[in-house]
Amino acid sequence: MADFYTLGLTYWRVIALTALVLGVWIYGLYFMFKKWGMGSTGYQDELRYSFWLFIATWIHEAFKGGVWVFVKTLVLDVLLLRRTLRRSPVRWVMHMTIFYGFVTLAALSGVGLLLDTIIHFNILGYAHAAEEVFVMMKMPFNIFGYILLVGSTIGVARRIIFREVRARTSAYDVVLLGGVFLITITGFYAQWMRGDSFLVGDIFAYPIYAPHFALVHTILALALFAIILPWSKYQHVIAAPLTILANRGGE
Amino acid sequence: MADAGKEKKPLVSGYLMSTQFMELDGCTRCQECMKWCPTFDVRQDRPGITPMYKIAKFRELLGSQDGLRAKLFGPKPLNEDEINIWKDDTYMCTTCGVCGTVCESGINTVELWEAMRPNLVARGNGPYGKQSFFPGLLGKDRNPFQAKQSERLCWVPEDATVLESEKVAYFAGCTAAYRQQALGVATVRLMNALDIPFCMLGEDEWCCASALVRTGQRPVMRDHAVHNVDALKERGVETVLFACAGCLRAATIDWPRWYEGYIPYKTMPLSVYLREKVRSGDVEWKRPLDFKVTYHDPCHNGRHLMHVKGRDWSFEAPRDILKSIPGVEFQDMTRSREYQRCCGAGGGVKAGIPDLALDCAKARLDDADLIAADIIASTCPFCRRNIMDGRAALTEKSDVKVVDVVEMMAAAMGLDTTIPDNPYMQFQEQDVIVCEEVCEIETVERKAEGKDLVGEAH
Repeated sequence: MADFYTLGLTYWRVIALTALVLGVWIYGLYFMFKKWGMGSTGYQDELRYSFWLFIATWIHEAFKGGVWVFVKTLVLDVLLLRRTLRRSPVRWVMHMTIFYGFVTLAALSGVGLLLDTIIHFNILGYAHAAEEVFVMMKMPFNIFGYILLVGSTIGVARRIIFREVRARTSAYDVVLLGGVFLITITGFYAQWMRGDSFLVGDIFAYPIYAPHFALVHTILALALFAIILPWSKYQHVIAAPLTILANRGGE
Repeated sequence: MADAGKEKKPLVSGYLMSTQFMELDGCTRCQECMKWCPTFDVRQDRPGITPMYKIAKFRELLGSQDGLRAKLFGPKPLNEDEINIWKDDTYMCTTCGVCGTVCESGINTVELWEAMRPNLVARGNGPYGKQSFFPGLLGKDRNPFQAKQSERLCWVPEDATVLESEKVAYFAGCTAAYRQQALGVATVRLMNALDIPFCMLGEDEWCCASALVRTGQRPVMRDHAVHNVDALKERGVETVLFACAGCLRAATIDWPRWYEGYIPYKTMPLSVYLREKVRSGDVEWKRPLDFKVTYHDPCHNGRHLMHVKGRDWSFEAPRDILKSIPGVEFQDMTRSREYQRCCGAGGGVKAGIPDLALDCAKARLDDADLIAADIIASTCPFCRRNIMDGRAALTEKSDVKVVDVVEMMAAAMGLDTTIPDNPYMQFQEQDVIVCEEVCEIETVERKAEGKDLVGEAH
């Protein structure tokens, strides 16, 4: 972590930034659900304009077929993207790799912050053990990073290669896919610049500037997560799985 | 300045359920719907009519009134021209539901389109063209053809047995009662030949009112739904059979939404009921029908009901009947079952935008031509009407005939399906099977001039 706390960053500043980002993200979700609550709770029902009634309606719809249908939909359609696989195996690989790459890296980052907290305060005397775990996390970070890279590369490539897809590509698609691609690349480049990197070794080693790239990568990722996802048209990242569950997989 | 002095109407969105607001944000722009949309297929210059763009536009309009920017700085003024274009896009859709079938986000598109349209009607933008006649016609005549309710059963042959009340009911629908009576006669003859006691509602059968829900004009729907359900309950009906996919859809999904009491009967496609008779050996085939036959899945009986009634009822029953008829060479078109191409008539398109309906029908005829079918069989009088109209509008004549599965079955069983003389003979316009030594299909041309005020009503 030592190379991360440069350029004016400190542990407390990172914690404050994390809290701010989570706060913005949670308020974004609240705002989004409140907006959806403008609708009714049933066919021809009166309007309530309520955050909680949206939640209630969603639960009612999602569990209409029973818990088993909900679990089946969650596994087959949300986690394994069955509907996407039926339509296009290429898009399925793209979505699966981006989704699992991104989500796992985000989770690993969260674990990293937790470990850093343990190291910082030497909680229960586990600072040394936490440092060892931190080193062990390098491999999963690399693996899921490459998974994300594969997905975002497919995403960008099909927009460039396939004429039909290219013709209907809008700024909306460019910003999201481009953003994911940029976040992935800056993350990798920051890692490569540190030297002794997985698969590439020291080819791109330039440790002095590695923190700069790491910071750009972090800011982009946090901006996408907190500022863009719940506040823009990219709400589909959250709305699509919720829709699939509410419609019981569309089956 | 053109809008100066005009009252600014707010955007209306209150007919959407909260989960449908979520669906608007759930579109991932994967473009899959664009590959399958039957209206976009014949209007490639209008991508705005595809689900992806319709959803994006509505989301944009809603965002301009209720999004973060609107909360901070106030809503943007609505552009009426933009809303009118979006209205056109929203109505250039047959609500066939193929977009929902292929949607990666599992959006229930049929329900979404049908929830978007009442907002446009409430705002004064919808419905589209002649669709606006539906509430008046149904409110006054209880059918879309300005026909007399007292003549609902005028086509039933004198020697046929139709009871006043019975556990099984046949709900004929307006089209079979007034415009495609060959279907009604064939159904009644079949039921009698198979010794199935059944009743009909006669004067008490009101239009299923499907067209009202499809076009976003909901209010009169309640009267029709409640009336029909009560009429069936009064007769002690336990099973209602439908030879019209549109009526079946309305009775299964729409009526219960408007009826507050208990509904004791189940709805069933006639083809399912008849298939059981074929399987049990009750059906005696007397004539071969030497035709190459394909089956057109009506959206209302297929995609709209496959999650309610199951795939077997929705897709396989009519096919099983056709395959069991001697002489029939059956082959599916490339697009069939849940991926079928809509005939183009649904969602009020036939009444509102007839040229679009015809172009879709021509595309469906092309599908049948590709496999060199002699007959397109279906279980929807409305699909049949539109595909026949599409055929008539072709520049190069097509020999493909369009016949109902029930009529084919009646012909193969050697039943007399002659329509008795009645006040609506001049309005009959359909392909009919005429059997002497061999069976042939003739087209009955309409003798009365002009078309119906609103075409047909689903």
